[in-house]
Amino acid sequence: MSLARTGVLVALLLSTTACAAQRGSPGALPDIQPGRRPDLETEEAGLWMQTDRLEADLKTSGALVADSALNAYVRNIVCRLAEAYCADIRIYILRVPYFNASMMPNGVMQVWTGLILRVDNEAQLAYVLGHELGHYLRRHSIQRWRDVRAKSAFLEFSGLLTAPTGFGPLASLGAQLALVGSIFAFSRDNEREADELGFGLAVKAGYDPREASKVWEALVEERDATKDSAPFIFFATHPAPEERIENLKAFAKKSALDGGHAIIGREQFLAQTRPLRTMLLRDELRRREFTGSQVVLDRLFEAGTGLGELYFFQGELYRLRDNEGDREKTTAAYQKALEYGDAPVETHRALGLLFFKTGEKEKARLAFERYLQQRVNAEDREMIEAYLRQLE
Amino acid sequence: MLMPPSFRLGTLVTLVLAGLIATAGCAQTSVLRKADFAPQAPGPARVLLMPLDVELSELTAGGMLEPRADWTDQAKTHVRVALAAALQGKHTALISYSPPARDSEQAKVDQQLLMLHDLVAGTILLNSFVALPTKKGRFDWSLGEGVKQLQERANADYALFILFRDSYASGGRVALMVAGALVGAIVPGGRQFGSASLVDLRGGDIVWFNHLSSEAGDLRTPEAVRTAIESLLTELPL
Repeated sequence: MSLARTGVLVALLLSTTACAAQRGSPGALPDIQPGRRPDLETEEAGLWMQTDRLEADLKTSGALVADSALNAYVRNIVCRLAEAYCADIRIYILRVPYFNASMMPNGVMQVWTGLILRVDNEAQLAYVLGHELGHYLRRHSIQRWRDVRAKSAFLEFSGLLTAPTGFGPLASLGAQLALVGSIFAFSRDNEREADELGFGLAVKAGYDPREASKVWEALVEERDATKDSAPFIFFATHPAPEERIENLKAFAKKSALDGGHAIIGREQFLAQTRPLRTMLLRDELRRREFTGSQVVLDRLFEAGTGLGELYFFQGELYRLRDNEGDREKTTAAYQKALEYGDAPVETHRALGLLFFKTGEKEKARLAFERYLQQRVNAEDREMIEAYLRQLE
Repeated sequence: MLMPPSFRLGTLVTLVLAGLIATAGCAQTSVLRKADFAPQAPGPARVLLMPLDVELSELTAGGMLEPRADWTDQAKTHVRVALAAALQGKHTALISYSPPARDSEQAKVDQQLLMLHDLVAGTILLNSFVALPTKKGRFDWSLGEGVKQLQERANADYALFILFRDSYASGGRVALMVAGALVGAIVPGGRQFGSASLVDLRGGDIVWFNHLSSEAGDLRTPEAVRTAIESLLTELPL
């Protein structure tokens, strides 16, 4: 390529940076103002328009958790953190058994049930929600959009620059990899900032600062247990959790000095989420990531609430996993569950089916009969009665 | 299990506009209609205009589509005006859609209907490129009887669904196109897509579907919108 042509390209490349600057260049922005929609001609309004459409779809999603008490509870926490921004945030609790919460630029906050199952108390939940609010307040979506836009423009131009040299494809692959890397890096900077901002909001609302790092410690534990089986996409766009844990612990140390913040809110959290736990545990096992689910179950065992239910799901995990020796473990876990008052009625049925398969007729009969006694309106009564007839 | 891919219309159009699915370069429309369709009773057809699905974007230098709320709003206004004008010549009465209360059950039902249409229309479009063996030479798509509630609520015979996507090269993109021309590389600019479907509210059948694709025409101007609407609706069977 002639020097003149290269010169023209370079000049054009520089001119796009100038063009981009008119519609907002990458970098820091002032925080969003409460109750304000972006001006119609901004790129932010464009992103809001798109996310408004996504929200309209989201409102009809079958995965929404309808439980109004839980929705009100989470909303109340968010409002304590968000204060003046409370009315700008719409919360959607979705029945998805993975650890996540996310924020759209227009104020849509998604909270997945997998997160609720994985936090121990209200303070831990508040620190995660505070982090999401941090993204919203700092307008990270729009920052990221601008960053990607500038980088992709650079990529197209550099692709043209290298195209005639014959090394185009290789150079452009290198450029693309570098670009993808830097987009993730930008996102990790956002995450750090959101951590810090969210931490501040939750401390201000009175939540125990020592709880902030515990969420991530639990996640690290789960990740390490599942290292070989399930890749955690979550970690690609987020800073290494070890780093977050260190940062959050450092924040906690500092804030402990201006002392006495102490809301952990374990009882309130349990009161609100416990009624849904059966559903959440059932969903958790549907992931068929038994190593990870075992870590989650172990943590719940340690917390010690509702042991009958937990042993039932421990049995379910063994039954679904079906490794060598899991059948015996299943039976033992179901039987253990029945030692507690809160074992689900299904435990009897599950036990009945197990004994039915192994040919232990008398035990199967007893278990099925208990199931039918305790659940008079069982939907599967006819099926269970058919089993009972076969056992005669 | 292998599932045939299903696309919502909006998604598919994004692929078309991104050049991932090739369509002819010049402006063209492509009418599909139900073979045995006969218009309802003699009086003027009452056509309910469903919420417009319009999105105009700026094509950035890097090839990203940046949605523009201001252009979209303008285009929607132009579309409403142009539709009213285009249908005036036909034997029709245009009924405007009155949205149910926010977050009401009815709002959810309507949103689901819009999403269903989006999915079916996407499938129609996909089948117009590569038809399933069972759909070759046939046009028998339906939204089902769930549309009847609209018939009663709006006192309408048909529902008309309109979609537009359009994008315009940003200053940076134009610079890139010029630069591309210098080194002999083709850098695509913006592209326009529009579609219209007419649904018989008695049973939900999509009786007519048309789409157009063009590299010319600026939907930010009322003239271009009028042209686009006229070519979309020329063969409307009413």
